[in-house]
Order: sequence, then structure tokens, then C-alpha cells
Amino acid sequence: MIDTTDRTELLAIVERLIIEIAGDEITLAGPITLATSFNGDLELESIEFVALAEKLQAHFGARIDFVGWISTKELDQIIALTVGELVDFIASAPAA
Amino acid sequence: MRMVDTGAVQLHTTDLGAGPALVMVHGLLVGSLASWYLTAAPALARTHAVRLYDLRGHGKSARPPIGYDTRTMAGDLAALAADLPGPIDVVGHSYGALVALRFAQAHPTRVRRLSLVEAPLPPSRFADEHDLLAATPDQQLAALPAPLAAAITSGRRPAARLLATLRGLAFDTTLRADLRAEPDVTDAELAAITAPTLCAYGDRSSCLPAGRRLAAALPAGRLAIFSGGHYLHLDARDALAAALVEHHG
Repeated sequence: MIDTTDRTELLAIVERLIIEIAGDEITLAGPITLATSFNGDLELESIEFVALAEKLQAHFGARIDFVGWISTKELDQIIALTVGELVDFIASAPAA
Repeated sequence: MRMVDTGAVQLHTTDLGAGPALVMVHGLLVGSLASWYLTAAPALARTHAVRLYDLRGHGKSARPPIGYDTRTMAGDLAALAADLPGPIDVVGHSYGALVALRFAQAHPTRVRRLSLVEAPLPPSRFADEHDLLAATPDQQLAALPAPLAAAITSGRRPAARLLATLRGLAFDTTLRADLRAEPDVTDAELAAITAPTLCAYGDRSSCLPAGRRLAAALPAGRLAIFSGGHYLHLDARDALAAALVEHHG
């Protein structure tokens, strides 16, 4: 059972899932931190971002509603999204 | 996300939500299942089992060298939707809306409700007006919708991949020839499609006359005009999502 309020652990999970989708070379430009943005820093394609969403949903289950969360954001907010905002969203989800 | 083998092509697909089945079809070239996933799909998934997929040659689906006409692609849609129970709802954008229209024409009893977002008519005008199939990468980038261009020019990696996709489709497939050869939909064909149909168009789109024609010729067609251009799912993201939710109830 993971502690979903532990941001360091959540960051490690998100980093692992990003590497699963985009490959090791995604970290060549530097380590993934809470300040890393999906578009500007990681340069994820939209379809890779969707793949990440699905992996997060599979990892954390119905407890997090990633799709619902995305639907509340404007497109420019989605484009500017950081790893830290994603970690905060997962950490704020109610416990299972 | 998973891959489905239709027998003709490997298609990349994903399902969201639960309820009556609804399939969403994206537009050509810059589209993928992310087009709907990041716009109207979440709202529809609150009341429907929404299935999204990458058209052949797009996203993570395979890129066969032939078969980019609407009839073949409507066949892909039929195969992809074969396991969905009952009459289904279909939403399409741009050329994806023409694929949805061909599907409704070929399988009239399979479609409950239809939404055609920015379907271009006659279909061949798509090839003439889309510089995305132009010869140079600069011309292709210049033809992108503004939000997408901003997203892409801020990073080299997606831009390089998108341009590789465009070039692959333009030069390694029959897409351009298929678009030019695509016959117009006749009024008689439209008159036979009885499913309630929302025709959603942008007030600044060159496709708007097609919307007026469809709404008049489809027996249960209705035109809704939004503030925006051809990439209406981006330009009028929330308003279009709300209209789709209302139409597909």
C-alpha cells in the first residue's frame, strides 16, 4: 500500500510511467522534478500524455478521476501542466 | 489503450466511461484519439461508454499504404464497433465526420444518433484547402490550428514527430489521391440517413456551407453554429462538449 500523500514516492511513480511511455531518452535533458512541464520540458506528444493518463488510472484505480480532472482544465492549462501539479492532484485524492 | 486487429489494419483504441455506446472519430493529419480525449470525450463519458480510436495512418494505429477513402475507413469503424451492443452513437470531426456519415449510410440500423462536427463537402475540397499536405515542413506547420501550433513550436520533439507523420501520410500512402477521388455525398444518400444528427460548425469556418447543406438534406438534421474555425473541438471546446452531451443525452 503506497502512501499517496508522499510526494517523493508519487514523483518516482510518475517518472517511471513517463519513462515507460516515452523511453529513457526523455530524461537526457535533465532529471524529472516537480517543476518539470509535460509540454515545454518533456515535449510529450498529446497521445503520449493520454497514454500517461491511462497508466495513472490503471496504477491508482478508480480512486483518482484523471479524465474528469483534465476536463476541468482549459487547453492552455493542460499544455502548461507540470509534474508537480499532477502529483498534487494524486496526493489530494481521497484515500482508498 | 489496446490494439485491435480488424483483419485489414491494426487500430489503436481506448474506452472511457460506462453507459450506451458512443464512438468518436478524429480528423485527418493532425488528429488522434487525443483530439477527443482532451476535449469533449470526458464530458460524454459521464453518461456513455465512449470508444476512441486512431484512424489508420494516425496516432499509434498502423499506416497501411492504401485505404484512406471514407468507405474503407467506415469499414474500419464498423469492425472496431462490432462488439458494441445495440444501436450506437457516433461523433466525428472533419474527415472523421465524413467517415461517420458513410458508416451511418452503410449501417442505418446501427446508428442511434450522429454528430457531424465540421464535415467538409464536397470531400475533395479537403485536399485542396489543406496545406498540411503541402510540400515543405514550414508550410505544414503554418497550416496548423493556433493552439496546436503553439504547443508544437514550443518543443522540437512533438513537431518532428507530427511532421514525420504528415510526410509519411502524404508520400507513403494513397491519402492525397484518395481525398481527390472521394465522391461527394448525394442528397438521396443523405435523405436515407434518419438518425437525429447534430451538424456543428464554426462561424469562421470555410466549411459552414456544408453544414447548411447537411442540416437541410438530412431528415433529422439540425445545424448548430459556434464561435470558432474548423478545429471547433479546440476553438469552442466547452460549448461543443455541452452541445454533444445534450444531443446524445
